[in-house]
Amino acid sequence: MIFVALATVAVAAAAWIMHLDRVVTQQFQGRHWSVPAHVYAAPLELYAGAPISADDLEEELRRVHYRRGDPAAGPGLYRRVGNAFDIQTRRVRFIDEQRDAQLVSIHADASSVTSMRQINGADLPVFRLDPPVIGSVFPIHGEDRLVVSPEEVPALLRKGIKLIEDRRFDEHHGVDTLGVLRAVWANLRAGRVVQGGSTLTQQLVKNYFLTDAQTFDRKATEAVMALRLEAHYSKDEILVAYLNEVFLGQDGERAIHGFGLGSEFYFAKPLGELDAGELALLIGLVKGPSYYDPRRHPDRALARRNLVLKQFADTHLIEANAAQRAAAAPLGLRPGGGSYVPAYIDLVRRHLKRDYAEADLAAAGLSVYTSLDPRAQAAAERALTRNLQRLDAKAAARGGHLQGAVIVAEPNSGDVVAVIGGRETDTAGTFNRALDARRPIGSLVKPAVYLTALESGRYTAASLIEDAPIEMKLPDGSIWAPQNFEHNVNGSVTLAKALAESLNLATVKLGMDLGLSKVADTLQSLGLESATALNPSMLLGTVEMTPLEVVQVYTSLANGGFRARPRAVRAVLDEQGRPLRQFKVQVEPAAPPAAVYQLVRMLMLVPTHGTARDAAARLPRGLVIAGKTGTSSDTRDSWFAGFTGSYLSVVWVGYDDNRVTGLTGAAGALPVWADTMAGLKPVSFEPIAPDSAEDRWIGFDDGLETTPACSPSAVVIGVRKNTVLPRNPRCNPAQPPRVGDKIKSWFDRIVH
Amino acid sequence: MAPLVALMLAGCPSSLRTSPGPEVSTRPPPASPNAPTPELPAEVPRPAPAPREFRLSPATQSLVAQAHTLQGRGDLLGASSTLDRALRIEPSNPLLWIELGRIRLVEGDAHQAEVCGRKALALASSDQRARSGAGHLLADALRTQGRNQEASEVESRR
Repeated sequence: MIFVALATVAVAAAAWIMHLDRVVTQQFQGRHWSVPAHVYAAPLELYAGAPISADDLEEELRRVHYRRGDPAAGPGLYRRVGNAFDIQTRRVRFIDEQRDAQLVSIHADASSVTSMRQINGADLPVFRLDPPVIGSVFPIHGEDRLVVSPEEVPALLRKGIKLIEDRRFDEHHGVDTLGVLRAVWANLRAGRVVQGGSTLTQQLVKNYFLTDAQTFDRKATEAVMALRLEAHYSKDEILVAYLNEVFLGQDGERAIHGFGLGSEFYFAKPLGELDAGELALLIGLVKGPSYYDPRRHPDRALARRNLVLKQFADTHLIEANAAQRAAAAPLGLRPGGGSYVPAYIDLVRRHLKRDYAEADLAAAGLSVYTSLDPRAQAAAERALTRNLQRLDAKAAARGGHLQGAVIVAEPNSGDVVAVIGGRETDTAGTFNRALDARRPIGSLVKPAVYLTALESGRYTAASLIEDAPIEMKLPDGSIWAPQNFEHNVNGSVTLAKALAESLNLATVKLGMDLGLSKVADTLQSLGLESATALNPSMLLGTVEMTPLEVVQVYTSLANGGFRARPRAVRAVLDEQGRPLRQFKVQVEPAAPPAAVYQLVRMLMLVPTHGTARDAAARLPRGLVIAGKTGTSSDTRDSWFAGFTGSYLSVVWVGYDDNRVTGLTGAAGALPVWADTMAGLKPVSFEPIAPDSAEDRWIGFDDGLETTPACSPSAVVIGVRKNTVLPRNPRCNPAQPPRVGDKIKSWFDRIVH
Repeated sequence: MAPLVALMLAGCPSSLRTSPGPEVSTRPPPASPNAPTPELPAEVPRPAPAPREFRLSPATQSLVAQAHTLQGRGDLLGASSTLDRALRIEPSNPLLWIELGRIRLVEGDAHQAEVCGRKALALASSDQRARSGAGHLLADALRTQGRNQEASEVESRR
């Protein structure tokens, strides 16, 4: 009987151990052996005329870790004399070529690149810098880590972590019985817990498989698992896995795991470039990442770092005077910005899933080439942070913490170059508003209404529509009576003016005349993938979209009627540099180019004659832009979507809990948009009229064809070729123009 | 400076984008019922954007040459990535969209070649040389898809 019971227990125990063994090996294989893919930002493209100043160029060289020195001495070195650079580039892999180290000479002035050649004198019409590394991902399970390989672990980190966390790591078999006894003794003597007995292996197991509960059951499981892990894997494999797994801090709701990511998170540097003090800080954090959080508790963090440094010196890991020097230095935390771009990596992860086969992504050592433009990312982050601080201060009475999101894209390709998912990436958490905040878009929907009108052929930008009170009985019996934002009524207005001033009544009138389903069809063909509920209020933007979806729709407008799917990933190369199936730039027709041209001409009036007039003060003088403001009901959401000649950007500002902000699109999102663009050396938007369209001058208010000489309020619109517009009777070139007009037209001719 | 003067004189910032050319349209007189008074002159000066003639810059020219080399070696992916690079520098140059469309044809993607042709045609505006290149591409892309009728129409329109 006893024998049977014992046998049963033994069998159960063996089964339990075998089960744990399987769990351990499977999980460890999965984590340990999947080498993450390195993720690269877009390489900076240089050519004569590229808008990169000499200072910009130096900053970009630093970003890819080039150092000042004699370029002849080796790759990665450059010399700057005035505005002239001599550079020896590294051997580097791009999507389409492996380029060997090269000596080049580049001249730039205060605004752009002026000339380039190879140092041997050969021509160099175009040249790109190394693509900066921005992170690494496990493409399949999708975590962003900066996993380090055994060779990338600095020797001091290897020794230092054992010294501080597990001195007998090289001797024990996963569980340190001696260490436990010592800890128990120390704790008994102190009357409280002053020492933990966990080995690095146990800590690793705990991180991998277990919760924090301090039960005997859990302790036993942890011990068995640690022993099994040690039985299967070498000390070094376990140590490196530990270094990649250990918890080092919290970024909002996102946990920072691993020394690679920790290094970027705290210092914005690769692990290999950390000095003794910086390594000591990270090693010290393991004991209590939140208690020693260097941003929240710099004093505790400093004391902890210096204690670690002292132990380094006491055990001769570093020299005593080096430890003293390091202890005297500040913490050296990174400032905001830099190469830490979690919201963008989030999009990369999703697009990898969308565009590549899972089996292909399982290969080790992949390189992911993205469209991220670090300068655009930094400009957008700066613009959002500053403006939200300013707006928060103004709205102090509301006592809220405004949030926002920014996406910047290249409309012709759909390449997404920057994503900001919220303010202050250090504390705001992981909610990526740019991709996931689905909000009513307000008047951002109006271009779809006006495009439908232009496409119908029944309207031009000069057509007159009624901006008059409307009451509508809805299917549920209620009465819908929309209002203009200013609660005014404008009577007969041109389409151009109705859109520029975002008049609600005129737009509803127009949309009802065209038919809700037609407008919804336009939205779909512009690229909205979700369905639209056909309520009259959709004409005023009750339709909800994420900023990314708005980017998709507005890309079709900025791109002259061609739809390009937003994409963050340009290519994925395997370890040998061969491309995985690539998602090419796929462009599809979205709307007739002539109609889009007319609409875009109207969107250019929004910043000159309409709701976005305030943008000019924040932009380079004379910069031509096109765009649309959006404000959802009661000012809960503030939007701006617009484009220059180089970029399209969409900005959302609002509260996470959907409270009233008191901000129109022009007051909230527009300044963020304008500051972002101003930081990007934008070029003017130049609409290109397809052969079937042409430009005309009309009176902004009356829609009559005119000239600037006749009507000071003349604006340019696009129309289909040979469209007949009613003329302004005062505008009669047969009559001799007045002297003033003559001078004006003479001036017009010489200045254009 | 020039835009400033124009701004002050014309009082209309959006007119900065286009020049009111001296030549007068030669369209026939309008027969619109909406025209307010029939005795008005038939013509008013119209904004006339400067005629465009598209060229490749030295940078994009060298990339196109590189793409041709890669294509010659059978590296179509490389060729197409190199053209993507050129398009990032000059996204509105129809000549580059024509090049990209040609690669798509060789890759066997006649639909994308067609879209590139249409995009090039829209961008070519009034540049006859670019229009003709885009038209050729579009017609070839349509023929490859068996849409001969449309191809002939495109060619006859040029």
